[in-house]
Amino acid sequence: MIVDLIPDEDQSAIEDTIVSFLSDMLPVERLREDKAHGGAAESEVWSQLCELGLFGLGLPEDQGGLGLGLPEEALVARALGRHLVSPGVLAQLCAPHLATDEATRDALISGETRAAFGIADGYVLDGEGAEWVVVFGPGGASLRARSDLSLSATDGGLDNTVTFERIEGGAGNAQPALRIEVLVAAYLTGIAQATTDMAVEYAKQREQFGQPIGAFQAIKHSCADMATRASAADTQTLFAATVFGAGMDDAVEAAAARTLAKRAALENAKANIQTHGGMGFTNECDAHLFLKRAMVMDMLGSDARARREALTAS
Amino acid sequence: MKIVESAELAQFRWECRDWLADNVPTNRPDDGEAMRDFDLAWQAKQHEGGWAGINWPTEYGGRGASVLEQLIWHEEYALAGGPPSGCMFVALSHAGPTLIVSGNDEQKSRYLPTILNGTENWCQGFSEPGAGSDLPGLKCKGEIDGDDLVINGTKIWTTYAQHARWQELLVRTDPDETRHRGLTWIIGDMQAPGLEVRPIKTMAGLEHFAQCFYDDVRIPLKNVVGEVNQGWKTAMTTLGFERGTGTVAHQIELATRVDRVIEAVKEAPGGADDAQLEMLAVLKSEVMALRSLTAASISRGMHETVPGAGGNIVALYFGELTRRVNAAAFDLLGPHSLERAGYNYPAHFLECFKWAIGGGTSEIRRNTIGERVLGLPKGPKAV
Repeated sequence: MIVDLIPDEDQSAIEDTIVSFLSDMLPVERLREDKAHGGAAESEVWSQLCELGLFGLGLPEDQGGLGLGLPEEALVARALGRHLVSPGVLAQLCAPHLATDEATRDALISGETRAAFGIADGYVLDGEGAEWVVVFGPGGASLRARSDLSLSATDGGLDNTVTFERIEGGAGNAQPALRIEVLVAAYLTGIAQATTDMAVEYAKQREQFGQPIGAFQAIKHSCADMATRASAADTQTLFAATVFGAGMDDAVEAAAARTLAKRAALENAKANIQTHGGMGFTNECDAHLFLKRAMVMDMLGSDARARREALTAS
Repeated sequence: MKIVESAELAQFRWECRDWLADNVPTNRPDDGEAMRDFDLAWQAKQHEGGWAGINWPTEYGGRGASVLEQLIWHEEYALAGGPPSGCMFVALSHAGPTLIVSGNDEQKSRYLPTILNGTENWCQGFSEPGAGSDLPGLKCKGEIDGDDLVINGTKIWTTYAQHARWQELLVRTDPDETRHRGLTWIIGDMQAPGLEVRPIKTMAGLEHFAQCFYDDVRIPLKNVVGEVNQGWKTAMTTLGFERGTGTVAHQIELATRVDRVIEAVKEAPGGADDAQLEMLAVLKSEVMALRSLTAASISRGMHETVPGAGGNIVALYFGELTRRVNAAAFDLLGPHSLERAGYNYPAHFLECFKWAIGGGTSEIRRNTIGERVLGLPKGPKAV
């Protein structure tokens, strides 16, 4: 199958719109303040976010969407990852696809009702204010009413910018959700890109031995490897999104995207911390936020076993 | 980002597939003159079939295929088990394109047709013992004497030099200049007196490259391509010719190899454990990403006139991945993988080291990505 992987004008315009909105309204620095955590910053700008019309992007027009596809949604998901936007916003992009009645779907597309991500027998992430939970595990996804789930509060987890509510059970009637799998990969790819940019920027500024540390090959090569990992994961994710539903093996394409996106996000997040040296180990440097978020997001959807099975089936 | 399909492209694919099915030769000899003869005969056959110079403009006798048609050709070529272009590679992918962009009419009409019809092949003459990764440091000397350039010095790692008729030779013609300045690109005659070619055996046991020694080798000045002392510019013009389709066959071959190892591991007594499957799943993901990266380079080739330094990302990824794939057989298949019989894992493993060295080592590629893609400073300065 022949694909053109360069975004066209409309796709670039969608990406530019969301990127400029997030850079202005939800920059990563917001997370330095506790009051922005748990999706609170997103709630503050929720009505403006809804006005962008993102949440019906990939749905057909007769279902109240814009009639675009997974490539456009993947560009949005990648931008959300770059800015460490609350997982709930990504869930909102996915939820209308899972809605079974028109009223629920319309309310999710408009943002009138909100969704959050959840992991069965695990946690709801940033669930405050959400009526729906996209429970997404190795078996697929189901859209559950939050009020139907058995939830209990926790004191938080690895990523203190996200709230965790414990769920007992909750898998429901999970349907295969390769589309969501690709979008989680895109979010992780955004983390892989953002950490590359952050490390490269620091390597240009920070001087030791009378020169920018990026002049040293130990740092330069690490940055080159970060860019290469991010590029491979990103390109595979956009490929999977572009050919989705067109007769290739979507399960294998999605599994490859997710495998590489996970590795790129985690390895680049760690390399970014290392590039920042002592600063990288501090709370005031944003580097740790990317690692924590990557680890949390990677709990959603498929696990390594499911991906191994898809990728080595022949 | 979209799927690109059309009836014309589908028709072109069938045309490629049909012709290749009837004509692809098998059992390419490993080395020696038999290999050269095989490569030239296959080129002649492609010429007869109208496929020679797939990416060359039609005015120079090429097929003039669009970027997407090139992609289809290379895909079908790999799927049909087409042999590497081997002894014809430099002529088709480098020397010919350089002449097309920078040669004069006389040079074009003399040298291009014999490349396409498989009667004359070329080698490269860039690297030297003291100028490998640091190519602009080359010293092989060319002095103007009457109508000739007199060459003295040596070139090394010259792939198939012992089988080539012509050579794209980069020599220093202005001894007062350094680095990229003062170089000249000239068509070297591999039959000229004073030239000695000593084959070098690789770690894979094959004589696929050589060192060339020049002792007052006289080359007529009319063989200079571009201008005297402007050889670096001539060498660089070829870059605009590369549209990312050249690596499609390697990428497909590597993907096939991963599938083969997966199959072999699963068929082994006892099957595969989780750790083995995880290793295979990652390799499979990576060859798929290589395919996607190649598709992205080709997409850029459709939109841009000159490729950027980003091609180094694909080249670095391919070089490192091909090593891991070829090493995996030994980790996964046990002692039987050591034997040359059958699929011959040792040959593939030993040969693949070249992909992270030739044409730019992985380390040089990381420097280039760091400096030219990411904008990191050159250096370091002495401390």
